[in-house]
Amino acid sequence: MFFKTSIVYLQFNKLSMKNIVLFLLLFISGTSVAQKFTLSGTIRDASNGEDIYGATVRVTDLSNVGTNTNAYGFYSLTLDSGSYTIEYRSTGFETQTFKIDLTQDITKNLELTVPADVQQIEEVKVNATKENNNITSSGMNVTRFDPKSIETVPVLFGEKDIMKTLQLTPGVKGAGEGNAGFFVRGGGADQNLILLDEAPVYNASHLLGFFSVFNSDAIKDVALYKSGIPAEYGGRASSVMDVKMRDGNTKKFGASGGLGLISSRLTLEAPIVKDKGAFIISGRRSYADLFLKTQEDLKDTKLYFYDLNAKANYRIGEKDRIFLSGYFGRDKFALGDAFGFNWGNATGTLRWNHLFSKKLFSNTTVVYSDFDYEFSIGTGDDGFGIRSSIQDWNLKQDFTYFINNNNTLKFGVNGIYHTFKPGALTGENETFNELILDERYALEVGAYIQNEMKIGSRFNIMYGLRYSGFNLMGAGTAYDFDDKGNKIDERTYASGESIVYHQGLEPRLSASYILSESNSIKIGYNRNYQYLHQLSNATSSSPTDNWVPSSNNVKPQIADQIALGYYQNLNKNMYRISGELYYKHMANQIDYRNGAQLILNDEVEGDLVYGTGTAYGFELQVEKKKGKFTGWLSYTLSRSLRQFDEINEGKEFSARQDRIHDVSIVAMYRVNKAIALSASWIYYTGDAVTFPSGKYEVAGTTVPFYTERNGYRMPDYHRMDVGFTWYMKERKKFEHNLNVSIYNVYARENAYTITFEENPDNPAETQAVQTTLFKLIPSITYNFNLK
Amino acid sequence: MKKIFYLFAITTVLFSCQKVIDVDLNEANPTPVLEGIYTAEDSTVRVKLSLTSSYFNDSPSTSIDAAVVNITDGAGITSNVPSIGNGNYELQNYIPNFNTTYTLSVLYDGVTYSAECDLADTVSLDDITYEYFPGFFGGDPGYVVYLNFQDPANTPNFYQIILSLNGEEFGGLEDMFTQDDLLSDGNPVERPLFSGDFFQIGDTVGMELRSVDEDVYYYINEAISIVGGSASAAPANPTTNWNNKALGYFSAYGNSRKEVIIQ
Repeated sequence: MFFKTSIVYLQFNKLSMKNIVLFLLLFISGTSVAQKFTLSGTIRDASNGEDIYGATVRVTDLSNVGTNTNAYGFYSLTLDSGSYTIEYRSTGFETQTFKIDLTQDITKNLELTVPADVQQIEEVKVNATKENNNITSSGMNVTRFDPKSIETVPVLFGEKDIMKTLQLTPGVKGAGEGNAGFFVRGGGADQNLILLDEAPVYNASHLLGFFSVFNSDAIKDVALYKSGIPAEYGGRASSVMDVKMRDGNTKKFGASGGLGLISSRLTLEAPIVKDKGAFIISGRRSYADLFLKTQEDLKDTKLYFYDLNAKANYRIGEKDRIFLSGYFGRDKFALGDAFGFNWGNATGTLRWNHLFSKKLFSNTTVVYSDFDYEFSIGTGDDGFGIRSSIQDWNLKQDFTYFINNNNTLKFGVNGIYHTFKPGALTGENETFNELILDERYALEVGAYIQNEMKIGSRFNIMYGLRYSGFNLMGAGTAYDFDDKGNKIDERTYASGESIVYHQGLEPRLSASYILSESNSIKIGYNRNYQYLHQLSNATSSSPTDNWVPSSNNVKPQIADQIALGYYQNLNKNMYRISGELYYKHMANQIDYRNGAQLILNDEVEGDLVYGTGTAYGFELQVEKKKGKFTGWLSYTLSRSLRQFDEINEGKEFSARQDRIHDVSIVAMYRVNKAIALSASWIYYTGDAVTFPSGKYEVAGTTVPFYTERNGYRMPDYHRMDVGFTWYMKERKKFEHNLNVSIYNVYARENAYTITFEENPDNPAETQAVQTTLFKLIPSITYNFNLK
Repeated sequence: MKKIFYLFAITTVLFSCQKVIDVDLNEANPTPVLEGIYTAEDSTVRVKLSLTSSYFNDSPSTSIDAAVVNITDGAGITSNVPSIGNGNYELQNYIPNFNTTYTLSVLYDGVTYSAECDLADTVSLDDITYEYFPGFFGGDPGYVVYLNFQDPANTPNFYQIILSLNGEEFGGLEDMFTQDDLLSDGNPVERPLFSGDFFQIGDTVGMELRSVDEDVYYYINEAISIVGGSASAAPANPTTNWNNKALGYFSAYGNSRKEVIIQ
């Protein structure tokens, strides 16, 4: 068998690193010597029929020959005819091994079982030696969680939150207390592509950021790509957080749920037709406002959120499968009729899996996504309201072609039609004229090709190229601004007429070299284009942070990242150690002029300024995956800097998230069958902030005098949380547990904000006042599962 | 909009706490602060010159008396604004000429600073109305006052509003209000002005509606947001109409006043 792989075109722009354009063209031709057959099928969880994503299928007789199941549990392996021993393995399941005589194409669907006693599997796994997928896969260190594996990690108010737990891993920094946003490797909070069943989630927070929109009960798997991002993903500069909903139990009816201090949850699932299809519906609602109602003054006050996740899937024969999933979530806040504010996401995904052959897997997807917010103030003649939304329709076609056991080719195309409604002011109130900002329309297209390839027994490489394009279209008006942001010209465009077209090529690469069974080195490179930008100049994320498209003024953000990693497993894969270095350059970053008006402003682009960003760092993680005692320690040493001609006199300054040191420790200890203990501790260098370096008086008021952007630091942040889970006596059909957690157990007064103000008792004096949000918050949650 | 988020903040008040802390701040070089005000109402130009001081310095700021201050009208005629001590400069009986541009200049320490400001037509305050409000969140009930005026159509207008209670003016940045007509051009405007406490029966409430220049409006707005401890991630000095990196602003305005006794 021969392979001819040619990297035909490799062009470096001589001027600068950021302009590297890398064309990878790939030609693979294979000539068979022996006859080849394909072993393929689907791997599922025996207890509920859910597809298992990322399960390993390995040919134990050959070195470095195997594959992983895709998101739909499908695998395909093409081998020379012969006899093989095939091993099927996935974390948390009993490994199964089969002898197979491959003299024709074989379909082998398999159900893996969870061992009866959790304790037992821990023992089994300790003795297993092949738990080294982290070493052998070509992808850089993808951070992946199944919500069950982290259910005991203590969290604020006992609300299990996958996004909060992700922030405890290296390179991922939370935006701070009361903020669901996160920063990956120095990038901005709007540079993370958050996908829920392939639908983008534009605002992933509830209650202005205290909780994320992801209800852990409805989630199967979360993966976070920080570098070497696969070519199938595009649209954001920094990272991809891919959240997959559970498919529902195809075996039998199940119900599970929980009662917490803040919210309660209920999940129902059942087969539609046994082993062929299932549905799951999962709801969550907070009820702090129900307590408010007991007080006379507050009875008209509303403050709550709800989520509804629903999904159904059905298998039509062996080759076709249909999935329909949706998410609806909303936050509502109101003070009687005087004031109302609500916002939420709605997403819907319809997917069709089809097997064209045992080697060619196809997935066709239609995605709808909507985010909107609405204010209302007063009613009747005095009332007015403000509305804004962003809406997407996405049509996507993806193929996976399992060429042979050394090459897996992925390719596909997609087109997203965006409708931006930046804002409308409406109402009966005679003070205000109705104002409806122009809707904006854009078509974002993508096409990609990527090959995952094994060369010999030690070298794995995944290389791909993505093309992306963004067509901003009329009907609408485009504005031109001078250097100071004053409008100098405007042009109107007819419906469908192109205002501007941006495009780019995004090379992606990740490669690993296996030094031994227990260690490897990997490199990754990715270039990402981002055509949508979120405008926010507040310290905390707000649902009113509008998304704006790239335009004649706003150029797409471009990030180039190179990363290098070393991975070592110790003590029979009991411990995993990884160290990664990265360097990232970000072009066309966005900031604002002083006093920028970001809401209800047709000419908002005149208030924006553009610059560059640089981020680099080192991440270290030591993880213990097995045994009674599990957890990890992560440390990140990093910088994230920005440079804008109009800001800080053109001098480079720290981004807010430029936390130099960042440490997280997570420990989970299963004392016995009934009791699990957990603790986490985090520490990071305080955020970069702007503090005054002097003061002066204007209008009889003391005003702070600022000399540089983000030239100061908040105090260092640290906190410890502890959790205790009691698994109460289990019945055949019923299990339940009680979780008690304490947030900030040593009551550290971390600074949420520091404000500089006149002393209220003596206006001649000035003082700095620190606000702390949460000191020691205990919580209790009861969870149940009807099997 | 900011007030809305304060309401959300109420929900976290149960858990949050505040304390005064020590922060180690740099010492910026003293920078001139030039506050120039020309009120058409009494035909007087008032200028106050001082230097910035270190943030935790509790003594009064250093005033500048050795500067030369001049004002130039739209016709190019320059008048001196003489020093009256303590960093104050004053020129009286300077007759306003509406819809013209005034230029204020300050020569200090070898540098000439200048700022331009348009003196806009004065919009009159038509009426102060008030309405009874029950207390929110257990606060005392009382009256909220409304500002009523007719915004002139087809011109951008900018306003600064100062409240007073029983003759005492609330002229500080944290107490003043601003208004533009971006969303209300040409309309009768009825705007509630929420100050710290609700007003009570017997209170004499006064309002001053200043018709200010666009640059001054933005300056005041930015200054209010800095002083109000706004949620801005990156506060910066307000955008001034002075050149040469001076702080402060120059405002020339006409105004209209009214008073009402709540009964």
